[in-house]
Amino acid sequence: MLSQQLVYWAYGVGGFGALCVYFGLPKEGRPERRGLFVLLLAVTLGGLVLLFDRLLGESANRFVFSILALLGVGGAVRVVTHPRPVYSALYFILVVLSTAALIIYVGAEFLGVALVIVYAGAILVTYVFVIMLSQQSTEATESRFASVLDYDRSAREPVWAVLAGFILMATVAAIIVKRDWSDWDEVSAAAMTEKNTLELGKMLMTEFAISVELAGVLLMVAMIGAIAVAKKRIPHASDAVESPPRGEVGKTVDPF
Amino acid sequence: MELKTLAIWIPLLPLIGAALVGLIGLRWLKDRSHWLVLIGVGLSLVFALLLFQQVRQDAADVDLSAASIVLYEWIDAGEGSWLNVSVRTDPLTCVMLFTVLSVSLMVVVYSVGYMRDHHGHAERGYERFFAFLGLFVFSMCMLVLAGNFLLLYLGWELVGLSSYLLIGFYYEKPSAAAAAKKAFLVNRIGDFGFGLGIFLIYLTFGTLDYAAVFSMVEAGADATGEVLSTGRITTIALLLFCGAMGKSAQLPLHVWLPDAMEGPTPVSALIHAATMVTAGVYMVARCCVIFAASPVAMWIVGSIGAATALFAATIALTQFDMKRILAYSTLSQLGYMFLGLGVGAFDSAIFHLYTHAFFKACLFLGAGSVMHAMAGEIDIRRFSGLKRGMPITYWTFLIAGLALAGFPLLSAFWSKDEIIHAALAGPMWWLGWIGLLTALLTAFYTFRMIFVAFHGEERLPKGVEHAHESGRWMTVPLMVLAVGAVFAGYVGVTLFETSGFLWLFEPEGAFHEFLAPVFAEAVAAPVAHEAEAHGSHWLMWLSAGLAAFGIYTAWFFYRRRPTIPMAIALASGSIYRLFYNKYYVDELYELALVRPLRRFGDFCHGVDRFVINGILWIVAGVPKAIGFGLKGWQQQGALQGYALGMLIGLLVIVWWVLTNA
Amino acid sequence: MAHPTSLMIIGAILFGLGATGFLTRRNMIVMFLCTEIMFQGVLVNLVGMGMMHGNLEGQVLGIFVLVIAAVEAGLGLAIVVMMYRRRGTLDAESWRQMRG
Repeated sequence: MLSQQLVYWAYGVGGFGALCVYFGLPKEGRPERRGLFVLLLAVTLGGLVLLFDRLLGESANRFVFSILALLGVGGAVRVVTHPRPVYSALYFILVVLSTAALIIYVGAEFLGVALVIVYAGAILVTYVFVIMLSQQSTEATESRFASVLDYDRSAREPVWAVLAGFILMATVAAIIVKRDWSDWDEVSAAAMTEKNTLELGKMLMTEFAISVELAGVLLMVAMIGAIAVAKKRIPHASDAVESPPRGEVGKTVDPF
Repeated sequence: MELKTLAIWIPLLPLIGAALVGLIGLRWLKDRSHWLVLIGVGLSLVFALLLFQQVRQDAADVDLSAASIVLYEWIDAGEGSWLNVSVRTDPLTCVMLFTVLSVSLMVVVYSVGYMRDHHGHAERGYERFFAFLGLFVFSMCMLVLAGNFLLLYLGWELVGLSSYLLIGFYYEKPSAAAAAKKAFLVNRIGDFGFGLGIFLIYLTFGTLDYAAVFSMVEAGADATGEVLSTGRITTIALLLFCGAMGKSAQLPLHVWLPDAMEGPTPVSALIHAATMVTAGVYMVARCCVIFAASPVAMWIVGSIGAATALFAATIALTQFDMKRILAYSTLSQLGYMFLGLGVGAFDSAIFHLYTHAFFKACLFLGAGSVMHAMAGEIDIRRFSGLKRGMPITYWTFLIAGLALAGFPLLSAFWSKDEIIHAALAGPMWWLGWIGLLTALLTAFYTFRMIFVAFHGEERLPKGVEHAHESGRWMTVPLMVLAVGAVFAGYVGVTLFETSGFLWLFEPEGAFHEFLAPVFAEAVAAPVAHEAEAHGSHWLMWLSAGLAAFGIYTAWFFYRRRPTIPMAIALASGSIYRLFYNKYYVDELYELALVRPLRRFGDFCHGVDRFVINGILWIVAGVPKAIGFGLKGWQQQGALQGYALGMLIGLLVIVWWVLTNA
Repeated sequence: MAHPTSLMIIGAILFGLGATGFLTRRNMIVMFLCTEIMFQGVLVNLVGMGMMHGNLEGQVLGIFVLVIAAVEAGLGLAIVVMMYRRRGTLDAESWRQMRG
């Protein structure tokens, strides 16, 4: 029973992935286990490659596919685990680029290009701006974590979060793998990749015309909303006008 | 105009007036609120007269057994049959409409003066009062116009509601609120029976339309064509009568009516004397075919009527509150009406209903006028000799009192005598003698009140400097009704008959002729009406004599020898106390019904509170305890903690779906 | 030609990683980045499902996901900036008013 084997395989890879993320997450007061993390990451990605190998079968370009998948997943792991937000954002670019390449590879050219333009081009720039705006000055010291803010230095409830996230992942993966693919028609799926952008445009302008309009309206509303939210003059915590806020500014709060 | 149009507009006009007053009265109309209702009721009266004219013209060729006029198909009862909003426009309806609307109009006019203080400013709730009054007139018109039992029930409940609202008009007063509740609850008991009766009618005949039901009763067959058993028809009649007992305050459901005097006096005059309380009489007369088919039911109706008449009259002898005396006299007169119904003199009962409406409304309004002048004081021991200060009130009150006492040539003389005569002529002749005894008592207590309150030297309660006559708004209705009290009876006698009473009057007249078709089927059997007229002269003389004797006794007791009543009261100690305390019926109910019920209610409440709620508390305590335990651990206000909870919940659901797929 | 299963598994992995990061990272900007990763996962999944059904609707939906992601990023970052101005920190733990 191939699919059952694949399910166990997926579970196993997921388990290693979970351990990997857990040890990768920054945690104050815990010795850094960089070696363990790299090892686990390697094991996980290797397992993933093997999994894809089985799934893709004798497909010609499974090598390309696997490389792209590994880049994406590895980038995502680093986004989640990296203690510095700027690096997280940069790794996120890696994720976006590799997923874009991946979907271009399977034939969704327009979406892939749009992904790069919108995400890597626009959204990520915004993120980086915001990160820079809110960067607090820290003095560089010897320690790796010295210039990292205390709340970036400690993850919140890593055990529970990793468990919940990976069980979710494993469940979804198991459902996907278990599906019976015998009725899948590869030829028609391949046919739809011809003139992808043209067909997509036709669809958007006919079948989904109203949705497109609504999306446009939504974007405009969000733009106005973002301006309205950000424009408001909010007294800064350091302003003498207001008494110090109730929250513990910049301090570590015990998670949970 | 067509009958149908008239029948629609008669109830609708007061309703429109009431609704408008209710909507815009408080804000804009204020103390002009009466106009809308006044116009509505007035137009309604005009329409009722037109209807009367029409029905009278058509009387000859209209088939009364025909189905009612359907205004609207209301409820689909299945299999193509409908419960309709339908009206029946026969002579009985016309008589009732005329009585109700003319008295209503007078009372509305009177209220304009009554519901104000001495400076002419409207009382608080002025517009509310008129809105309710309009609602009542609408409900009463619906009740009498109804062409089937369902609509009758609707009107029946609506008048009950308006009565409740108006009794409790001064709702700040605890006694008024309690009286309103009492009226409502006691009426519910009667209405429960009434409702059951209607269900049984539907069950038996498969329809609620008057004409269809009555024709089946006449034929003696139910819906399936089987022979109708006497037991079934008796049950129906008695259940219906149950409703009549509640609404018309007959023994033993009479307790609400005297208490209902807590409402404003015009309300007492209109609802609790002239119109609503007679709904029971109307209903029994309407269902005369059903009642006539059951001798047992007739016997019970007559007996209860006679018993109530005597019972209430004895209580009225000893009361001091003018409105209460009048309330008991209303009970007594309603008893007469049921007595008449019970002996099969349906037309006489309706005749009495019609005459009674005028003189009793006049008496109540007169009492209200006294109350207005005496700053709310109504106890006849507190004042006397009002004759000089309030001549119009006095004279109208006297005329109406004479009518109530059955003084010859006034309206009630004719109607009451007919009832007594019918009773004496029938198999239940002893009821007639009870009626005569009651007539004597009636004359006595009425004039006791008049002599004590209006005659003698002028005495006024504290805080009232002089007795003053009420304003034009109040005196004009009094005079109109007094005229009615004198002359209303003449439609029911034949004039200029040399062989008649005083060589002028013969009982039975146009009124009876007009009503005859309605009761034709029912009356034929029990009472032979043809021969009675000539044989009743001695009865007329006798009752005139009794009335005169009662009045004379009252004068002798209360004006000539004022010590006698006290002496009698002392001598007959326990009996007097029994009368004075209204036979302890309220106390008996308190002891036998209210308290056990309350205790049972307390018990149920206790069970609900401690047993059932206890279980719920325990059940609810489990999640509560869990939540309390979790609160400190989980609910810290941190966004990510909640997100984690959501995700775990999602996983549980996914797991559940997958394992159960 | 790749099998849609592979794509969908990558989608699931991205989604799970994003969820984990969202739950555990305390920097609000990184939390938003993690939701973007979840969006990526959904998008990849949609493309895979479109392939599975042999039509383009998955990709059309992917475009709408992009729109939503852009909206979310814009508004979310505006709110983050506002919250940062008020508290002087990006720590999500400093906002704990949602407590019964």
